[in-house]
Amino acid sequence: MAKTIAPPVGRAEQISRWLEKHMGLLLLLPASLIFLFLTVFPLFYNAYISFFDYAFIQRLFEFTGLDNYRFLIEDELFIGSIKNTLRFLLTATTVEVIVGVAVAVLLNAKLFAKKVILPLTILPMMFPTMVVTAIWAIIYDYEYGFFSNVLRTFGLAPVRWLSDHRFAMESIALVDVWQWTPFVVLVILAGLQSIPDYLYEAAQLDGASDWQQFCHITLPVIAFHLQLVILLRVIDGFRLFDKVYALTGGGPGHSTETITMFIFKEGFRYFNLGFAAAASLVMLLLILAVSLIYTRRMWREMCDEA
Amino acid sequence: MKPRRKRVRLTFKNVAAHVLALIVLIIALFPIAIMVSTSLKTPMEFMSQRLSLWPSKITWEHYYDVIVERGFLRFLGNTAVVSIVTTLVAVGAGSMAAYALTRFRFPRKLDAVFLVWALVIRTIPPIVLVIPLFVMFRELGITNVRLILILGYQVYTLPLAIWMLIGFFREIPKELEFAAMVDGASRFRAMVRVVYPLVLPGLAATAIFCIIQSWNEFTYALIFARVPSDFTVPIGIASFLTEYKTLWGSLTAGGLISSAPLLLFTAVVQRHLLRGFGLRGVH
Repeated sequence: MAKTIAPPVGRAEQISRWLEKHMGLLLLLPASLIFLFLTVFPLFYNAYISFFDYAFIQRLFEFTGLDNYRFLIEDELFIGSIKNTLRFLLTATTVEVIVGVAVAVLLNAKLFAKKVILPLTILPMMFPTMVVTAIWAIIYDYEYGFFSNVLRTFGLAPVRWLSDHRFAMESIALVDVWQWTPFVVLVILAGLQSIPDYLYEAAQLDGASDWQQFCHITLPVIAFHLQLVILLRVIDGFRLFDKVYALTGGGPGHSTETITMFIFKEGFRYFNLGFAAAASLVMLLLILAVSLIYTRRMWREMCDEA
Repeated sequence: MKPRRKRVRLTFKNVAAHVLALIVLIIALFPIAIMVSTSLKTPMEFMSQRLSLWPSKITWEHYYDVIVERGFLRFLGNTAVVSIVTTLVAVGAGSMAAYALTRFRFPRKLDAVFLVWALVIRTIPPIVLVIPLFVMFRELGITNVRLILILGYQVYTLPLAIWMLIGFFREIPKELEFAAMVDGASRFRAMVRVVYPLVLPGLAATAIFCIIQSWNEFTYALIFARVPSDFTVPIGIASFLTEYKTLWGSLTAGGLISSAPLLLFTAVVQRHLLRGFGLRGVH
C-alpha cells in the first residue's frame, strides 16, 4: 500500500490510526456489501415486484396490490405444487434418515477394511447433482434402462418410472435418497463417534439388549445430530429443482411439478415476474415457518435436557 | 495410550454386519458402475436391451464425441472460470469477515446480525432470489453471463466461506498476532503475515468447498446462460437429457469427465466434509 507521494507525516499517522481503529468494520465491509446488494436488496425488491402485474415481455408494470397473492391461493397448480413438494419431502427425508441412521450404526461397528468402506459408501454425494441425475435417467429409461432390462429378464413388462404419475415423484425421491443418504450417514456417524465405549460396556454388564442399548444410549446422544440433519434435508428438499427439470420437466401432467418448478415456469417461461415473485415469497415463508418451528423445538429440547 | 488393534471376531452378528455392509456398498456403487460401462459401450450393445454390466467391446468414441463434437470443453471452461473467480471473491471477502468476526468486538451486536443473516441466506432457495436478480441485472445493463454468475454465486458461496473460515480462524491463538504487534508490526501486517499463513490449509479447504458448490450450481446458470456458448457443465448435461435423449454414451462420458475434478477435490477435503455445517468431521 506504498504511496509514492508522501503526505505530511501527521496526516499519514492520522489515517493509519483511523484505519487501525475501524479495522474490524472495514474488514467486514466487502462481505457486507455483497450481502446487501445480492441478498438483502433483492429480497425486498422481490416483495415489491410481487405487488405488481409485471409481464416482462410486454413491458407491463402495473400496481395490483394483493391480487397476485389472491390468484395464487386460487391457483390449483400452485396448491398442487406445494402438495407435490411435501410429498417429495416426506418420502425422501424419511427414507434418507432411517436408512442413513441404520447404515451409520452399521459402519460404526467393528468392520473389516472400514477405511475403504466408508469413503466408497459416501461416494454418491461426491458426484455433481446433474451427473447423478443423468445416471438415474439411464437407469430409469423405459426402453434401454437397467430397471427395464431387469424386468424383461424375468419376463415382466417394463415400467415407465418417470412418466407414470403414480410413481414419478417417488422415482425422483429415490434419486435424492441415493445421492444424499451418505450425508445423513456422515452426520450421524459424527454423533455416534462421540459416544464413549464404556457406556455400552456398562449397559452390557447390566444385561441390556442391542435394541435397548440403541434406544437408551445411542438415540439420546445422537438426537441433536438427528434433528440437525433432518432440518438440513428438509431445507434442501424444498429447493429440489434440477432433478425435476432434467428428469420429468414437472410431468407427467403436473404430477412432479414442485414449487420451484412452478415459479420457474411462471417466471421464466411465461415471464409473469410479479406472479412468480409472489409465489416465491409464499415458498420462502413456508420454509422459514418450518425451520423456525423446528429450531425452536430443537432449542427447547436442548434446554430441557441441560 | 496407543489404541489396541482388536481382532475382528467371527460371530454371527459380525458376519451379518459384513454382509449388510457389502449390500450397502453395492447399492452405493452400482449406479456409478452403470455410468462407467455405458460410457464405454457401443450404441449397439447399449440398445440390445440385455442385462450386461461389462461392455463386451470397449469403445472410446463417446469421449471423442462429447469433447470434439458437442463442445463439452467449452462448458468445462465456462464452469472452471466462473467457479474459480467466484471462489477467489468468496474466500477473499469471507476470510476478511471471518478474521474481523473472531478478533473484534462490534457495536449493536452487528456481528451476531451478520452471522445469523449468513445462516438465513442458506435456507433461501435459489429460485427465490433469481427473480429480483434477473430484473436487477437487466436494469443495470449487465449482460456478461460469466460476470452475472460470479456475482450470483456469491449468494451461497460467501456465507459458506464465512461459516467455515470462522472455525479455522478461531483455532489460531490471538497471542501470536499480539506478539508480532509487540515487535512493532501493525495489526494489518500481523494479520497478513502471521495469521493468514497459519490459516492457509483452512483457506484451501474452504476454497475447495466453494468450487464444489459453484461447479454444481444449476438454477442461476439455467436462467442466465441462454445460449450454448455460455452453458456451464450442469446446464450442458441437462440439455443433453432434455433435448437429445439418445446420446447416452456421450452423456455418461461427459458426466464422468466433469466429475473427475470434483472427485479429486472432495478427496482432498474429505475430513472437513462436515465443517460447513458447524460439525466436526468423521475420523
